[in-house]
Amino acid sequence: MRRYVHPWCLVVAALNLGTLSSRAVDVFRDQVEPILRQRCYECHSHAGKIKGGLTLDSPSGWQKGGESGPALVPGALDQSRLIKAVRYATPDLEMPPKAKLPASEIAILEQWVAAGAPDPRVAAIVAAKKGVDIEAGRKHWAYQPVRETAPPPVRNKAWPLNEVDAFLLAKLESAGLQPGAAAEAHTWLRRVTFDLTGLPPTEAEIAAFIAAPSPQAHERVVDRLLDSMAYGERWARHWLDLVGYAEQIGTEGKIFAEHAWRYRDYLLKSFSADKPFDRFIREQIAGDLLPAATPQERRENLIATGFIVLGDVDINSIDKLKMEYDFVDSQVSKVGTAFLGMTLGCVRCHDHKFDAIGQQDYYGIAGMFRSTKTTFRTNLGIWSNVYRVPLPEMPEDRAAASEHQKHLATWHQEKDKLTAELKPLEAALKDKAHTESPETKKHRAELTTQIKTLEGKIAHAEYFDPGKPQALAVADVAEPADMRLTIRGNPYAQGDTMPRGLVRVAMWAPQPQIPARQSGRLQLADWIADVRHPLTARVAVNRVWQKLFGEGLVRSVDYFGIRGESPTHPELLDYLAHRFVKEGWSQKKLIRLLALSRAYRMTSSAGENAHASENDPENRLLWHMNRQRLDAESIRDAMLAASGRLAAPAGGPGLPLEFPENVSGLPLTPKSNHPQFAIKTERPSQNYERTLYLPVVRTGTQLGSARLRDVFDFPQPAQITGKRNETTVPTQSLYLLNADLIRQRAADLAGDLLAATKDSDPSRIARLWLRVLNRPVTAAEQADALAFLKDTSPGTPAAAAWTELARALFGTNEFLLRY
Amino acid sequence: MTAPFSSLSRRAWLQRTSAGFGAMALHGLAQGAANPLAPHPPRLQARAKRVIFLYMAGGPSQMDLFDPKPLIQKNHGHSVAAPLPEKDKHVSTAKLLALGTEIPVRPRGQSGVTISDLLPHTAAIADELCLLRAVQADNNQHGPAALQFHTGVTAEARPSMGSWISYGLGTENQNLPGFLTIHPGIETRLYGSSFLPAAHQGTPVVLPAKVTDPAIDFLTDATTDSATQRRRFDFIQRMNRRLIEHDAADVRLEGMVQSLETAFRMQTAAPGLVDLSKETEATKKLYGIGGKATDKNGRACLLARRLSEAGVRFVQVTMDGWDHHGDIRGNLPKSCAAADQPCAGLIRDLQSRGLLDETLVVWSGEFGRTPWSQDLSGTSPIEKHGREHQPDSFCTWMAGGGGKAGFMHGETDEFGYRPVAGRVHLHDLHATILHLLGLDHEHLTWRKLGRDYRLTDVSGEVVREIIA
Repeated sequence: MRRYVHPWCLVVAALNLGTLSSRAVDVFRDQVEPILRQRCYECHSHAGKIKGGLTLDSPSGWQKGGESGPALVPGALDQSRLIKAVRYATPDLEMPPKAKLPASEIAILEQWVAAGAPDPRVAAIVAAKKGVDIEAGRKHWAYQPVRETAPPPVRNKAWPLNEVDAFLLAKLESAGLQPGAAAEAHTWLRRVTFDLTGLPPTEAEIAAFIAAPSPQAHERVVDRLLDSMAYGERWARHWLDLVGYAEQIGTEGKIFAEHAWRYRDYLLKSFSADKPFDRFIREQIAGDLLPAATPQERRENLIATGFIVLGDVDINSIDKLKMEYDFVDSQVSKVGTAFLGMTLGCVRCHDHKFDAIGQQDYYGIAGMFRSTKTTFRTNLGIWSNVYRVPLPEMPEDRAAASEHQKHLATWHQEKDKLTAELKPLEAALKDKAHTESPETKKHRAELTTQIKTLEGKIAHAEYFDPGKPQALAVADVAEPADMRLTIRGNPYAQGDTMPRGLVRVAMWAPQPQIPARQSGRLQLADWIADVRHPLTARVAVNRVWQKLFGEGLVRSVDYFGIRGESPTHPELLDYLAHRFVKEGWSQKKLIRLLALSRAYRMTSSAGENAHASENDPENRLLWHMNRQRLDAESIRDAMLAASGRLAAPAGGPGLPLEFPENVSGLPLTPKSNHPQFAIKTERPSQNYERTLYLPVVRTGTQLGSARLRDVFDFPQPAQITGKRNETTVPTQSLYLLNADLIRQRAADLAGDLLAATKDSDPSRIARLWLRVLNRPVTAAEQADALAFLKDTSPGTPAAAAWTELARALFGTNEFLLRY
Repeated sequence: MTAPFSSLSRRAWLQRTSAGFGAMALHGLAQGAANPLAPHPPRLQARAKRVIFLYMAGGPSQMDLFDPKPLIQKNHGHSVAAPLPEKDKHVSTAKLLALGTEIPVRPRGQSGVTISDLLPHTAAIADELCLLRAVQADNNQHGPAALQFHTGVTAEARPSMGSWISYGLGTENQNLPGFLTIHPGIETRLYGSSFLPAAHQGTPVVLPAKVTDPAIDFLTDATTDSATQRRRFDFIQRMNRRLIEHDAADVRLEGMVQSLETAFRMQTAAPGLVDLSKETEATKKLYGIGGKATDKNGRACLLARRLSEAGVRFVQVTMDGWDHHGDIRGNLPKSCAAADQPCAGLIRDLQSRGLLDETLVVWSGEFGRTPWSQDLSGTSPIEKHGREHQPDSFCTWMAGGGGKAGFMHGETDEFGYRPVAGRVHLHDLHATILHLLGLDHEHLTWRKLGRDYRLTDVSGEVVREIIA
């Protein structure tokens, strides 16, 4: 290496005089700038990229620095990030990233900084990147307050049944479009029953409604459905799509989330009871911080915070800091998406590119979750796990505990007894002269096996103690604190501290005071659940609208930002949002309003409405009902319902961990890996329970009959999505043609029809149509089906032929669609 | 189809699908064309038409196979002062004992590409390989690391590499999916299409131990004879046609009818394709089919060639068993024996068929392994130690498809722990693979929630040095 001549002694003197010597200028131009140009400008200049917000093509660029502050401190090598970076001294701050600079170049940069970083370039290049302009951002419709709107006048006064219809019709009329005709009575009944409960109507329900489809009959149907347990099941599942729910923690290994089901059951109860939505929000974000009048209420409040922790988390990471930051990020993103239709996740690394959301906003909320216990380090290897809290004890827990103790005591007793019996037999073996008879040998082997089985049972029972109910939930940390922002999301590259607070673009008041020793989640929950929040009610009613009408009034249901879709009916959206809040945040009242509208009764067929097809091919103005493919749950549940084998609502744990053989890694020892699940024994009843109750796993195919989820667009648990994909791929068709599950349900259904021995074949066919397609069979179909039966099983149609026919119906598009 | 459904919706349907009724999958969004699998030309000039990804699950040891380190060799059994950051310290590796390589790694062929004696078949094709010796990933756990290799990110559910490529280029064979994955593990996200249209999702193929078992899920139904199934299929389609006639034509209904047709055809077409019995004995031998260690991977690699030849855009073969935490000296040779001949045989076979130039083959684990030893028991002699995961640097090779042949790129420090030159981050690797296919990684995007997502997330540079 060429010996480097130190040129900076001259420069220092020059700087002391307050001007740059020509020598300094030369050194910079000849030696320093070429390095910056060659090594840094590609990513850190106005002509190249501006990574991390840092530019190095002007003195003001490094003076201001990037997201982490100034790039260098003149004269102070150790405080200069640029020097640290080129030295490759800190693993996470290495520049240039591809390879370390030659030592000679590092030396030049060090000497330049040590000499006070004289930089003769023009003082500033106009920044290409502007900060976040909150006031301008607020002009976006979604951040404007919800307006109280009134239904507009319409020409066709006979059409609207309620306010919703007036809003829709007014738009159609002004566009010169006609609303579609009413769907047939059985079509409406099937539609509303699937939409509200995820199940088909029964034969009796169809008969009753078709006999007299009066306005009161419509109301009676809707009220009956809203009151049913199935309603809670359906809407709990919709909410789980926004949570990242699974009964498995992380994706490394098969770690069970053995308490996750409590959150699922909490949702079920909340939707069934029509819990006010603002209350529902508060419980999920800050339930642990809310007052509770009874132990039962306290319990619900704690379980509700499962929302925060039931998501994907890398619990086997060695790098715990990164794990925690990533988990916080998923929580901030989830709150943003689920409640607000905001994409906050982007802002971990940089200010939002489109919406007026800055890193200050992100880290304001991130600090609240960073101040919340959501994971803990186990004593099993490097595993962490999701935080859990003991629940207030209820009488049934005490009963379970005493029952549990009784079992344990019995097993211990048995084990002691068997051990006592085994001991002399083993002792005898020590005597070499002793010969063991074949009977004794057999007996000894049996005893050993029995003891081993008992030990397994005891270890299992001690691990899963039902007397100590717990929930996957959260609590505030002892020392809540503000968070420092990170450079491009890297937890080891931290910038300024950001006070905990809320997202400014959607605020109407100053930042709230966060009491000492509190995380701030309560303030976050209060803000989201405030009647003045511009997003919360709009996002919530839009989600419900989408489930009933197929598309949201804002089609991007999870994103209301600048790049999202604009509302097709802004006045209607505001009307619904305002009314929703005024009626006590009641989802049931909202659904009732929508389901009893004229619009909801329209046919799903574009039919002969050529004018509308030309002018509004995407049906944005809703001139006919949108068709929807049944979701995975409904397909499986509807087959169960049709076969007559659907089990009563279950609840409780999804994973059948009560079978010791399904849990590996017990008993625990100091060197244990984390116990894991490997489902060898299934709970037979689960074949007949609604899909909601089947366990959701994060890795691998879904278990048992839940496998159908994988085929029909069930969202990966790591995805947060308010609207599922509805794809059409050959894999689905192969499943419908060949899967054993379809054959079994068809066989059950055939068996049920044949059990009514007095029925004729035509009346069985009629019932089959009512059960699967939920409508009367036509004459042509009746003839086709009879011929099919005869071809399949010449002579008397046997169970096999009826199974084939039922299987065929389960494979039809009419069954798969809600139209 | 002659159904008298509304002429208007028929026209609307035809407008939305330039491929007429050939669509395999339909997606309602404007950005998902009616036939997402129709082949479309890439933006840039393509060097490769398709990819075969040989995925060595578990993390093969780069220093034992491709990147020898004299310092570690010299200090075998002794502690080395390695720059391991505190956050990555682990009880079983805390002593930082250098673990030397027992079997030599030597320069091969004309090019001098360095390969272990454990991989004699690969060594023999060294002059075809482009060996990257400083590949870098971000996570040291299998789950997130594998996810990053396949999808670009360590968490979430994003589209996998094969899905992006299928989305970018479509498929050359309309009777087959654009992306097939042979012997995938349990993690479905590694071949998921996430927010891309599901037509781009990888279809798993498991070569059956028995000829009667289906290689594709739900491809057959052993309980029903084909005449009975045909009758049922016809009945379903009659019902579907009646529904369309009854006032209800729409794009999706047509798509569903088509999809059922395709599925029905696949039942007869796919088994022939996965049937390897028609191949010559010489070909089978080339892949090691019939060999005790090599049969499974050999058949998988041969199938990969057949699928690739048939126009499948992205074929993946997963070979597991590389996670050598203990007794690496005893176990690594076994994994090598199972993978070496099948992988090298694939390259030779592609070459002899004139397919290698347009087929990019990529061989890699999700990460590499530490130069220092790992001893989970705490009591084993050094010879029985294994190695811990290492994402900071590892080796990947490519062959064909426009990469430089007989070329090595990248260097690691004297420990073999961190890149000192020619670092190729996974984002860079992804950008380069797309580039060779004629796709610009910054332009191959899908808009979701207002953001344009891409395989390379927010970074990645094409590694021009390795392009021929």
